[in-house]
Amino acid sequence: MTIKRLLIALAALAYLGFLAVLGASYVIGLKQASTWPPAGEEIAGKDVPKVERNVQQLEKRMGGLLPRGLYIVIDTAENRLFLKNGDKVLREAVVSCGSGVVLEEPGGKKRSWVFDTPRGEFTVKSKITNPYWVKPDWAFIEEGEAIPRGMEDRIEAGTLGDYALGFGQGYFIHGTLYSRLLGRNVTHGCVRVGDEDLKYVFKAVSIGTKIYIY
Amino acid sequence: MKRTAAIVALLAAGLAGPGWAGGADTAALAKKQSSLNAEYGLAKDSKFYFVFDVLGRRLELRVRGMALRTWPLQSMRFWGQPDFAGTVELVKKTALKAPERIVIKPGETEEAPAPAPAAKPEAPGTEAAPAEFDLEALELRDMPKRFELDFDNGLHVIIKARGGAASSFGTQLRDAWRWYVQMPLRNLFGREEGAGTSQLELVFDEEKDAQSIYWHFFDGIKGIIL
Repeated sequence: MTIKRLLIALAALAYLGFLAVLGASYVIGLKQASTWPPAGEEIAGKDVPKVERNVQQLEKRMGGLLPRGLYIVIDTAENRLFLKNGDKVLREAVVSCGSGVVLEEPGGKKRSWVFDTPRGEFTVKSKITNPYWVKPDWAFIEEGEAIPRGMEDRIEAGTLGDYALGFGQGYFIHGTLYSRLLGRNVTHGCVRVGDEDLKYVFKAVSIGTKIYIY
Repeated sequence: MKRTAAIVALLAAGLAGPGWAGGADTAALAKKQSSLNAEYGLAKDSKFYFVFDVLGRRLELRVRGMALRTWPLQSMRFWGQPDFAGTVELVKKTALKAPERIVIKPGETEEAPAPAPAAKPEAPGTEAAPAEFDLEALELRDMPKRFELDFDNGLHVIIKARGGAASSFGTQLRDAWRWYVQMPLRNLFGREEGAGTSQLELVFDEEKDAQSIYWHFFDGIKGIIL
């Protein structure tokens, strides 16, 4: 009976000790929270004008980094393209971006391709009307066909729609025959746009227009 | 005369008012300067970066000082004193079920590649609704709704959506134990060992918000926390 009581007392003590430690950790946590997020350091009165000038200069420099005139923004997750001028959205289009699929070449060469739309800052490098597609090796490998030797066997007309905007490394913003797939990630890295939206964007932008793909 | 003096005094007070007079204001000015300095360092480059505005309760993806995407926070909680000086860099992204890329090896699989399900061209000008079937692709819907981010300064961030994936009773119980027992004890004993806890939990309204953060926050992305 005494041993049982002793054990109960010990268990109660251990529990109270645990609660005390937990309580202490909460007090420390609350103390930390009261000074978070940390405020900036104090500035001496005489330094205030200098800091103000510095802030103004930094704001001006930041403003100078913003794109001037029209620019294109593409959200690869939502499959959306925005043609913008400053904060104003001039056109919003549902597009198709890269599928993220990896294609591995069978046989000896063992090359592989990742079908991602590249992310980053780009510029419009070319504007093409009635573009034709020069099929790269992966297009034949994907279809299980032999890679042709002659260039003429690689050319396919009509696939890219009426217009194409090149932004480097073989990537284009172009039209599509598969408008039902707009809004889904299905491409090999290019950005597919519906006919009307593509026409509007193509006519509005010029070579050098910034493209931000994220 | 008295009226003129009063007007002059009021005008002088009005002009002096917006200046950085008080201690709190100079601290805010100093903070603005350091955050602008840090952001300018990132915005000079063409790479994307993020800005986590704690007091403004929003997370933003930016480039060149321009916000590309804003995710408003539904709620936030933390343990320890996360250090926000300068820039931070994402070193690890962890999810229970991280999405995996689909690998196509022609000749080894029977299924056709991605565009096959609807590889039938529509008539020009057809306004069709977006397809809803599953594609062989890595899409936003495949991204996790709950995941963790580790930054180079030791900051650990948990991203989740309200309700959704974390709403099962078991998960809630495990979360509560971790947050209300494990974390405070780790914070207490970690401090003594010199390894202070620095953990943030950010909750977003929509599951899609959490998923798109997973999509856009790639390893190595830098950012600032205001």
